[in-house]
Amino acid sequence: MTRRSSLIALEIVAIALALLILIPFFMILVNSFKGIRESALFGLSLPTTWEFGNYKDVFKQDNIMRGFKNSFLISGLTVVCVNLFAAMSAFIIQRRGGKFLNGVYLAFIMGLIVPVSIIPTIKLMNELHIKGTYFSIIMYYSAVLLPFAVFLLVGFMKSIPRELDEAALLEGCGYFRLFFRIILPLISTVLVTVSIVVVVSVWNDFFGPFYLVTDSTKWTIVLQVFNFVTLYSTNWGVVFAFMIVVITPVLVIYLFLQRYIIDGLTAGSMKG
Amino acid sequence: MKRLKYPLYFSFPAIAIFLLFFIAPTIIGVYYSFTDWNINADAIKFIGLDNYVELFKEPRLKQAFINTIIFAAAVTVLQNVTGIALALILNEKLKSRNLLRMIFFMPYVIAPLVIGYIFRAIYHPGHGVVNQFLDLIGLDFMMQDWLNDPKYALFTIIITDIWRVAGFSMVVYLAGLQFIPKDLIESSSIDGANYWSRFRHIVFPLLAPAFTVNILLAMIGSMKVFEIVMVLTEGGPGYTTEVFYTLIRTTFSSGEMGYATAVNMLLFAFVSLVGVPVLMMMKKREVEM
Repeated sequence: MTRRSSLIALEIVAIALALLILIPFFMILVNSFKGIRESALFGLSLPTTWEFGNYKDVFKQDNIMRGFKNSFLISGLTVVCVNLFAAMSAFIIQRRGGKFLNGVYLAFIMGLIVPVSIIPTIKLMNELHIKGTYFSIIMYYSAVLLPFAVFLLVGFMKSIPRELDEAALLEGCGYFRLFFRIILPLISTVLVTVSIVVVVSVWNDFFGPFYLVTDSTKWTIVLQVFNFVTLYSTNWGVVFAFMIVVITPVLVIYLFLQRYIIDGLTAGSMKG
Repeated sequence: MKRLKYPLYFSFPAIAIFLLFFIAPTIIGVYYSFTDWNINADAIKFIGLDNYVELFKEPRLKQAFINTIIFAAAVTVLQNVTGIALALILNEKLKSRNLLRMIFFMPYVIAPLVIGYIFRAIYHPGHGVVNQFLDLIGLDFMMQDWLNDPKYALFTIIITDIWRVAGFSMVVYLAGLQFIPKDLIESSSIDGANYWSRFRHIVFPLLAPAFTVNILLAMIGSMKVFEIVMVLTEGGPGYTTEVFYTLIRTTFSSGEMGYATAVNMLLFAFVSLVGVPVLMMMKKREVEM
């Protein structure tokens, strides 16, 4: 076999495998346009009659917009929180060093591996009288994602020369200005990576809000999916339409920013 | 020049959040796992090791423990095998390479809960896509009730998770492959090394860092599996697909919080015992290689 034809064979194998990934998405797409009976057959054929009413039913739910709003709010605020606090502490951990900070760094690395204890967290939020608030869920996510961000940022901070700090401080610049005006802009590419990881993790998470948020008006979009399936599992057409509405914005963003998203989500692991 | 005095307090917000919302729950968890904390009772009583004694008597815990290990081991191995295979394919000069890379990675950006629901339909015994396809190509004897048959349920969940994460490993390995100089591979193929020995002696050792990262991430991620199992089988049929997090969920739902906390603590101990030494070992090995 020549090199050319073996490349073509390889390409065919790869496309066949890619179809394995695409078929499930296609399945929910076509079934989201089918009526109650036909959609329950989960087939791959086009609908015999196109049922656009499924989408109307989905948008009649006001909890879908609320779900998006909550997901947006919670992931946005977690991004700010994690980026700012992780960058500040990574700066000090890397520059200052010492026994205490090395211990802190080690604790963060452990936090990368061990799971957060969710059941006692419910108790803790209760005792702090913040159970079910946006604040509590943002703090929970920050605690879970800080280890990763600190780890990544400490690694990157090493590449920023210390002489820069010395020069700035000699010019009479304070530590706050040094950090916000000089260091932060220099690490902005890593902050983009951190933001992508945080948004993807928080947006898609079910575990945290399932345990920590009991008030349905504060549920994220993923929790709304859970709730919706429980309510409407008799009409799969509507359920699939709901899922399409939920995953479409994610896929559109992924399509446009795929390079940054793929690099961002995997870059975190590369530094390891 | 005198040593700069970087202000320690810059690190306080991160430390405070981590201490309060990550470390503190674990510590108070140890205490509450020794109590009869229940959602339906006001008072919380200290009951010593009762929760743990009760737990170890339960076949469910043993099953959850075994299943979590099987799931984690299988996913770790298969995720890496498929990841390397896909990366080697996409490392060739294929026309649709960028498109394929995007497609393979796509499931990783979708919520696992949603993926679980999609696959519940795909595995439907009567008319799910899998069985329909087997029927179509004449392999109807292979049709199974994938999620309700105790023989296949765990296996089905494993395959579903591979579908979700293989693209992630692929990208990490693809990045690793970029570091391997092209002429190194070319010179070896001139020397007559075949594909397999080239892979084993040249490509694979150079992939070591990507390998380390992939193994560690796959192990840690798969030990914490939750949504996919919850949606696909809820730990059933029987306890055949029960894992730690589904066990925590059912004990939590029944209101036995002290008991659920004890399971939570066991998971913590289990992941620490496996994860921390692996992290240390792999870091050490990588330096030597």
